[in-house]
Amino acid sequence: MEAMKRLNTHLRERPVELLKLKKSGTKIVGYAAGGFAPLEMIYAAGAVPVCLGMGGDPESVTEAMSYTPLFLCTYCRSQIAYYKLGEAPYYQLPDLFVVPIVDANNKLIADSFCYYTDVNVFRFGVPHDKRPLDADYYKYGLTNLKKKLEELTGNVITDENLKKEIELENRRRSLLKAISYLRVGADPVISSKDYVALHHAAFYADRDVYLEILQEIYDELQAKRAKMAEKKYSGPRIMLVANTLAHGDVRIHEIVEATSAEIVYEEAAEGMVPYLNNVDPGLDPLDGIVDCYFTKRIRNPWDRPWGDRFDRLLEKAKEFDCEVVIWYQTLYRDGADLQSWTYGKKFKEAGLNFVKIETNYNAAEKGPMRTRIETAIEMLGQDEREAAATL
Amino acid sequence: MLVAGVDVGAATAKTAIVKDGEFIAYSVMPTGDIVTKAAEDVTVEALKKAGYTLKDLDYVVSTGYARHHVKFTDKAVTEIICHARGANYMMPQVRTIIDIGGQDSKVIHVNEVGRVVDFVMNDKCAAGTGRFLEVMAQVLNTTIDQMGALSLTSKAPSDITSTCTIFAETELISLRAEMTPRVDMIAGLHRAVARRVVLMGQVVGYRDQVAFTGGVAMNQGVKFFLEETLKMPVVVPEQPQIMGALGAALLATETRVGKIYERSQAALKG
Repeated sequence: MEAMKRLNTHLRERPVELLKLKKSGTKIVGYAAGGFAPLEMIYAAGAVPVCLGMGGDPESVTEAMSYTPLFLCTYCRSQIAYYKLGEAPYYQLPDLFVVPIVDANNKLIADSFCYYTDVNVFRFGVPHDKRPLDADYYKYGLTNLKKKLEELTGNVITDENLKKEIELENRRRSLLKAISYLRVGADPVISSKDYVALHHAAFYADRDVYLEILQEIYDELQAKRAKMAEKKYSGPRIMLVANTLAHGDVRIHEIVEATSAEIVYEEAAEGMVPYLNNVDPGLDPLDGIVDCYFTKRIRNPWDRPWGDRFDRLLEKAKEFDCEVVIWYQTLYRDGADLQSWTYGKKFKEAGLNFVKIETNYNAAEKGPMRTRIETAIEMLGQDEREAAATL
Repeated sequence: MLVAGVDVGAATAKTAIVKDGEFIAYSVMPTGDIVTKAAEDVTVEALKKAGYTLKDLDYVVSTGYARHHVKFTDKAVTEIICHARGANYMMPQVRTIIDIGGQDSKVIHVNEVGRVVDFVMNDKCAAGTGRFLEVMAQVLNTTIDQMGALSLTSKAPSDITSTCTIFAETELISLRAEMTPRVDMIAGLHRAVARRVVLMGQVVGYRDQVAFTGGVAMNQGVKFFLEETLKMPVVVPEQPQIMGALGAALLATETRVGKIYERSQAALKG
């Protein structure tokens, strides 16, 4: 797609653009890739948000051993390594790094940046449950974030500014959702790898450029989708459930692309823009943000209690006609691992093939990963006839 | 129709020849450094035993970790699907397959027609596999072929808590310093391997009958300790290491299974 090429060109030049903006006085606000740092607030303060969410690279894991304990999430450990290696330009830019704390693993990101860098880190807690008092606590965190952003930029975040930003971010989320849903009922018009790349592009791209390109992509894909036959699938359909789909981690996609199956839906707690819900413009802006970013969001794998997470995942699997669930987790992300045992059984009971993949971003994992994924797909194609049939 | 199932594993390459649905010949040889050569050599050998050459082959199905690199393959299928089919051909009553190979182990739940219902594989490293036993054999100054029989002579197997090659070696050194009889250490290692794989397979569950396949299945000691740990009889087919290759050959006609390759005629040398 021509639009994707333009987006890639824009992204290649983006670090230099951001550096120029920074030098001209614009504040760059980094945020951890969990989807709990509201971009609306960052934009409303006159700053530019940049997600620090890279992963999948064995070098960063090795480098991380100098800075972090071993027995914590591979992805979370890698973050300080990306900063220290100095090769990922976005990591060197932030004037402030916002880390909403969801578990002990991502707390490591905040701790390691505080300890080993001069980066100004702002952290606030994200509760696991979704009761009104939990929403209040999250809102309290956002209130403090608001003060921090105002202090950083010298600009007051007004309700009016917030509403403008909400409208734009709603547009982003709506477009991402619309593109995703083109995959319902037909072979995907966009590969999962490209679709996730659109999410990763959102981490860095200029928003105006991004929205224009996203609209173009949606228009093109919608026209393509309109010509496709309903429910005529050319291969098995996969739902990818990941604790993290980091920017740079494409191995699962590459493995699936070499098979007859396609990933048609992704659910990632970290690494994708949470797009299923919009901020209700009828609510007080901050309340609306809490409702969208926190209350209505599908729970994370490490949230306690698990609540309705399984039901919502199963609902998506059915909506997208998935036959296989790939559960992709990073090593030592214990919350996700614990959940995988029960959810694996539940998905199988619901008639789906379930395969669990755990990664330490190690190159040697690819062979076993491939065997597991290919087996889960091949299981669907097995004949029921007698094994000793004459050829 | 003459079909070859080629299983290129980490330690050995195996080929099974099936003619009109009947298993007629096989061969096994070390994989060595060049997997493509190993695949061809073992197939030529197996065909020779059956009185054929590469040119006579109608179809080739490859499996094992190098399945996508067999130049003359028509189709590549994962070893889990293949093992299930091969074991079902030899032992139709089997419902659980424990497969321990050179560098990996699996527990597979199959139905009455050899269809995989569920599976689990070892994670990350070769702990508790054939490679582990090979290294331990060297540490204990014996050979892998003797280990199994020696393990059965022990009256008091040692408690070896680790199946990591490095940590287990450390444990053995400590036991040796305490003058622990060699056969007890060997038995302890075998019991540790059995316990590790049984624990891994609990996710899938063990249903009667349980078959033991893969190269390590030729080790009577591991079989004994599997039965002791599972408290169930375990059957070992004849030629347990070729179940994958046999299953691959039997899967030639299942068009919806596996990745199809366009086989170049030049890749088939006669």
